[in-house]
Amino acid sequence: MSEPSISRPRRWDKPFSLEVGSEEELTDDMVDFLLTTPPFSQIDPAGFKRSLPLRDIMKNDVRIVGFDEGDIIVRRGDWGNSAFFILSGNVRVDLERKQTSLPDEILGRRTNKVKTLWESFSQLWQNNSEPEVREIASVGGSKSTLNTRFAHGGTRIYLPEVSSVLDKYRTARLDAGHWFGEVAALGRTSRVATVFSEGVSQLLEIRWQGIRDILRHDREGSLKKYIEDVFRERALSAFLRTEPLFQDCPPELMQRIVDQVEFHTFGNYDSHKPFKELLEDQNHNVDGGEPVIIQEGDYLSGIVMIRSGLARISQRHHNGRRTIGYLSPGQIFGLDEIQSEVQSLTPVACRAQLSAIGHLNAVLVPTPLVEEILEQNSPAKSSSKKAKKQIRATGSQSVKLNDDILLSQLVDRHYVQATSLMVIDLDRCTRCDDCVRACATAHDNNPRFIRHGPILNQYMIPNSCLHCADPICMIECPTGAIFRDLAKGDIVINEQTCIGCAQCASNCPFDAIRMVDIRDATGALIVDSKTQTPLAQATKCDLCIDQRGGPACERACPHDALFRVDMHDAAKVEEVFAS
Amino acid sequence: MRNLFIQQRIAIAVFAILSLMILAGCYLFSISLAKTSFASGAILLTCILFLACYQLRKKLSILPIGSASTWLQFHIFIGFLSFVLFMLHMKMRIPDGLFEFILFLTYFTVFLSGVLGWLLSRSIPHRLLSRGEEVIFERIPLHRRKIHDKVKALVFENAGDGKAIPDFYEQHLRTFFEGPRNQLRHILHSERHRHQLSQKIAALKPFLNEQEQATLLQITKKIQLKDDLDYQYIFQAIIKAWLFVHVPLTYSLIIFALYHTLAVCAFASMSR
Repeated sequence: MSEPSISRPRRWDKPFSLEVGSEEELTDDMVDFLLTTPPFSQIDPAGFKRSLPLRDIMKNDVRIVGFDEGDIIVRRGDWGNSAFFILSGNVRVDLERKQTSLPDEILGRRTNKVKTLWESFSQLWQNNSEPEVREIASVGGSKSTLNTRFAHGGTRIYLPEVSSVLDKYRTARLDAGHWFGEVAALGRTSRVATVFSEGVSQLLEIRWQGIRDILRHDREGSLKKYIEDVFRERALSAFLRTEPLFQDCPPELMQRIVDQVEFHTFGNYDSHKPFKELLEDQNHNVDGGEPVIIQEGDYLSGIVMIRSGLARISQRHHNGRRTIGYLSPGQIFGLDEIQSEVQSLTPVACRAQLSAIGHLNAVLVPTPLVEEILEQNSPAKSSSKKAKKQIRATGSQSVKLNDDILLSQLVDRHYVQATSLMVIDLDRCTRCDDCVRACATAHDNNPRFIRHGPILNQYMIPNSCLHCADPICMIECPTGAIFRDLAKGDIVINEQTCIGCAQCASNCPFDAIRMVDIRDATGALIVDSKTQTPLAQATKCDLCIDQRGGPACERACPHDALFRVDMHDAAKVEEVFAS
Repeated sequence: MRNLFIQQRIAIAVFAILSLMILAGCYLFSISLAKTSFASGAILLTCILFLACYQLRKKLSILPIGSASTWLQFHIFIGFLSFVLFMLHMKMRIPDGLFEFILFLTYFTVFLSGVLGWLLSRSIPHRLLSRGEEVIFERIPLHRRKIHDKVKALVFENAGDGKAIPDFYEQHLRTFFEGPRNQLRHILHSERHRHQLSQKIAALKPFLNEQEQATLLQITKKIQLKDDLDYQYIFQAIIKAWLFVHVPLTYSLIIFALYHTLAVCAFASMSR
């Protein structure tokens, strides 16, 4: 009997224009037309590989989507997998931030319901005796109360009264020929603003894989320059001001900084792919494959501020390198050296090496401008204690530990990605499993982590979701069921939209996502009506997002042995791992 | 760590002050010829009920009623304070009535098991970390069986035609691999059993051919693995077992204490 065979799936088996939400397939004529219009007409097709021509990228990673008056195109906080180019019509960008921006109800956003005190208490007897019970009605979608309509080949959430939104909220208009959403798509970050259609508009939507390939092979670099210019114009100033050094910077100086800042990208955008292999590599060779941003002993041309990704700080140690710290987004490198230069009036060589862990975007603020800021903030010029404190604080921005080996292990295993790393101090843990029991009680009798995992010194890192800063589990989720909660930033799975494709579970390098067979209230497995095979859904730690008081595991530990650590919080990391 | 040190110092200071206040209160109460037993008994009963609430807190882990570690700190603190109250209530003597003696014995067992548990929870984690692979308690039998199966495969399939290793296995290793062994020695940190087994293995070596020696070397590694597993098993078992004394006896203590209170209240007018 012959084995069942299918042809091996390839990248462009299904063009973007044939995916759910597309109106019509992108024809060759349309592609030809797009290639004759800017900005695509400015890209030299000769720079592209034969196996990856610009025309094919356009044909397969691009689609044209139409929007009606008020249709929401992207929502603030949603995950960005694609960028948009306006072909015709106008769109509006919500410029308000935080509390004053468009409310969640208008945006049709789900709000996570936190259990009441009684609901929490009643879990003791209301939890199902069988694990992973779902209401059948909720699996595969439920009736929505959102303002939605079916148009242009997909269901759209829309703003019912656009004019009142325009009156009430500060917005900006973007006309044809503008891009938006590219920063979130390339940086694997959430959208920073909501964009909706003003009148009827037609947009070109391009998958991040497509933008990545165009950026890679575009010899002229026109698209790259455009993206950088947009970031420089729209967001750079606000980004720099997150760093205390720039907070009191006068507007004139800030404008000069914005004009002169250099953008740098390091590492492979797909660096999560060989990540599991990297975990297997026990040699922990720091130099191995990590692009060097600044060499140890070099003279700095400016300070480096991380936009996205992580960077390793290492020093030469005998015949190798040892990790002495790491930087996460918003943190800076090189200020100490420039401060020393200012004080000693002689060039100071860099005392450590900075290298990119995976894919990294950074900005370089030139030395003369940094010196000018330091001059402005110097005690002689600025009597404010705050300014002095700030300068001191920025010098110790990177996360450091006294134990170099432990720090190396945390970096090598990419635990530094975590915004909520579960750490169990085995010197205190009595293995009572109260944490596991509490987790099970909070999650319908099935714990969302296993008290088992690598042990670094006396610290166990159990198989629990790390809630990564760059959650690669979310990249290929076809329904957006795995998403970042806006209020708390946790990565959670929506049971109602999870289709059980297991993309997230296979992408997670920490094996923290588990596929479980789901059951009905009687305990019977729920099966696919067509194939009669059990339906599975992804489950993982959700930091007890619907429970009062936060993660049950941490609160249930009687011996203060279990911690949740944001690895980007230098003080917390030091507090937990310094003992 | 420094915070923990300061916290401990504060707790000891507060404990000393409270104990002195209780003693002073009792003394002042007694010189006014009032019955101090009622007051100390009432406070003691309250303390016992509060101590029992800790178990309830563990069950209600999903409620925002303070972290379990804070509750445990109070549990330990009140536990020690209850001992001071108990001694005062007993007037430092062993009761002569049968029921009171049982109550006395129950309290003492609960208190001592609590102190023992407290000491164990401070010392055993460090011991568990010092030796062997970290294995979840419930999975230890499975790991043990896997090791045993591998050893049996080595003995009966890889050892060749010779009888030396199978005989040695039957004589010295079968019982060792079948279940947890040398538990008392592990508790006492004695390695005598391993030395004895090593000596026996060394004595066997000259009588083995090259292939058998290689097999024996692999078995030796499995012995080490199994011994480490036994070490993990016994200490994880101890740290779980003490609760089977402490918790059930607490419930008995509450019942006895409530009965004692009822009896005291009922016969209060007759007491002197």
